[in-house]
Amino acid sequence: MTAGRESRMNPSIAVAQSLALDDVDAFIASGAIWEMPENRSVRYTFGQTPEDFSHSNHFSACLVPPDASREWLGALTRLNCDVFVECSREIDLADIAPLIKQQGGNKNTLSICLSTRSAYYLPVARKFVTALRHRELIGEKIAPTVEMAVQEAFANSLVHGNLELDTSGHLSMDSFTELGEETKRRLASGKHGGRAILLTARKRKNGHIVISINDQGNGFTPPADSCPTNVAGRKTTFGRGLPLIRSLCHAVNFSRDGRSIELEFDQEGTEFPSSSTPTNARLTSQPVHETDVDIRNPQNAIILIADDTLLSREIIASYLRAEGFTNLAFAKDGEDAIAQVRKHNPDLIILDIIMPKLDGYGVCKALRANPDFAETPIIAQTALEENEGRTRIFDDGATDLILKPLNKAELIARTRIHLENRLLVKQLQAYQERTRSELTLARDMQENLNPAPENYRGTGLDYGLRISATFQMSSELGGDMWGLVPIDEHRLGVYIVDFAGHGLGAALNTFRLHSLIWSDQLRDREPGDYLENLNRHLKGLLPVGQYATMLYGVIDRVRGKFTYASAACTSPILGNSLTGQARYLDGSGVPLGVIRDARYETREVSFTAASFLLLYSDALIETTLDDGQFLSEDKLLTMLRETIIENRKEIDLAAQIADQFMDRAPAKLSDDFTIVSLQSTPIPCAI
Amino acid sequence: MNYKTECANGTTTVELGGRFTFGDHSSFRKLIEEIRTHGSSTYVLDVAAVEFIDSAGLGMLLLARDEGEKTNTTVIIRGAQGQVKRMLEVARFDTLFKLEN
Repeated sequence: MTAGRESRMNPSIAVAQSLALDDVDAFIASGAIWEMPENRSVRYTFGQTPEDFSHSNHFSACLVPPDASREWLGALTRLNCDVFVECSREIDLADIAPLIKQQGGNKNTLSICLSTRSAYYLPVARKFVTALRHRELIGEKIAPTVEMAVQEAFANSLVHGNLELDTSGHLSMDSFTELGEETKRRLASGKHGGRAILLTARKRKNGHIVISINDQGNGFTPPADSCPTNVAGRKTTFGRGLPLIRSLCHAVNFSRDGRSIELEFDQEGTEFPSSSTPTNARLTSQPVHETDVDIRNPQNAIILIADDTLLSREIIASYLRAEGFTNLAFAKDGEDAIAQVRKHNPDLIILDIIMPKLDGYGVCKALRANPDFAETPIIAQTALEENEGRTRIFDDGATDLILKPLNKAELIARTRIHLENRLLVKQLQAYQERTRSELTLARDMQENLNPAPENYRGTGLDYGLRISATFQMSSELGGDMWGLVPIDEHRLGVYIVDFAGHGLGAALNTFRLHSLIWSDQLRDREPGDYLENLNRHLKGLLPVGQYATMLYGVIDRVRGKFTYASAACTSPILGNSLTGQARYLDGSGVPLGVIRDARYETREVSFTAASFLLLYSDALIETTLDDGQFLSEDKLLTMLRETIIENRKEIDLAAQIADQFMDRAPAKLSDDFTIVSLQSTPIPCAI
Repeated sequence: MNYKTECANGTTTVELGGRFTFGDHSSFRKLIEEIRTHGSSTYVLDVAAVEFIDSAGLGMLLLARDEGEKTNTTVIIRGAQGQVKRMLEVARFDTLFKLEN
């Protein structure tokens, strides 16, 4: 028995609270996810929403309710679990169960199994790909390609597989309408709508990601050679899915008699097919990479000599060999140069400018466009003495220039200098790698400054509030923090802090401020007074130039008011939980730690039984999203309104906004991201 | 997918938003039924706010085109961005529709 299997012997399962315990027991007993060894029992942890499960616990599986709404899809990204299964008596996992078992328990996998009915209206492909990005199973670069392919393949398996609908050929509006009605009927039926669909991803040792989609339909394997990538064409209304998938993947395979489709992607990513071929397309076509050779000694460095004349190559090689540089590679034209760079990943390139097929300018441009080779030193050799050629080769990305005919001493001197620079950069990277583990410890400590879900949920309930929060630390250490301060039976204080900058300095400052907040006995003061007092203390502690933004406010359930003061915090949002209408409150004020006698105005708004409050750090509105823009003030309000209207039931607002943000933001953020929502619950609070 | 329609001077402008995918059958059908009643000579489908479209979404755009052809109505797709723009290019929709920036 392997180690991976042993860890599954005492399984802990995250279970949606809305599920009937009988159903859960029946599901576990069915052995669908794993065979239960004797004398072992499953430990259930219940949660109303995915937020209720602590991130420090690993769950062997998560059982999602049959009416799985968007919030449970968000769990794919945030829950420490790799297997998600809809728990319903209607679903017969049958031949899909072994596939789930096969995947389960492995760190580099992710699986979700839903009924067709649940999956049909949910953005499953999008959430799945967001989760893969955040779990670092795929890189940012290929994510859009993977999402499109998964979307198409998933739709195919749902519509043609499980629902057995035929959408081939050119449809008229009438047949489209009929198709829509038939879809509804089949979704409602147990036979079609209750079938399961399983989506899994696993990362191979070679870095490739394999995504498989498995349905319970009749199976369909298209002939391998039929019109593989032609997406265009007007003869068909809905028949573009498969050609599109083929054009997006490294490989496509069918199994289980066509009820499983397997998509394979290499991490370099297949370029989205485009009518205009980008100049660096040849760079992304073949994923060949030798592992980096350690160049502690510059003489171990790999040097690529690209020159179209054999004699020139030999002369340069002999100069280099004489000085002990023996790790040489050669290219005879521009295209060959790019192929050799891909193959050897050299530490230095000596590049001729005038070459057949692709000249030196083109080689430079193509290499610089690829992040893997953007930093590789390139020495261009040229007979051109005129300024224009020199300027141009530098513009195109050359690091240095050497004139022909070559002077041996000069060539060696320049080679050494660029290799030494490269060496220093690599050593610096290695050093950063070492300190990273220590930073992880500091990160954990910082995360613990924020309240845990079980705490803030419980505290919220005491005040008739549904509280939700999501925190994601930046790739470095950051300076965000939030917390709750119970004042008395009907007043709850809340704060959110963002220290300027990030790194160790900002993190240490959050510790300083955290202890100040919790040692201060004067919490009963007005928020403005409170911030003034805090600012005086903090000014004494902080070095000049370091400061924080903060909001401190008190929700008073008896008076129905939210009273707050802000030190340059992002504008808090106050809205109505029923209509979704919301507005920005005034967040202006001097940041903490700037001037000793800063004054803070106490502001008051009404906070009723239908109110919600949203607090957030600036990462929410200052992160470049997939459309190349920040989330604007208007768009955030629209997102809130639509989220509330679409759900029509109680939701964790902050978690839902965070999910939508994460769909569109890079997985690694450059600043801490914090979002907190406090929503009045319909039940009047017990006072 | 969500939409807003506006009819003025013989032109119906439809602002589409969100994700436009296979599950949007019924909202798309409602949309077609709604603009049929306008009797416009031009349909402008403004897709600037569409974040993502799949091949079924493309198929539904084709249905809108067929619908237009029946009544001699020109169908224009306007403002495609990012992924939507690339999908329209790949499927060569420039040969089927009038595309505007």
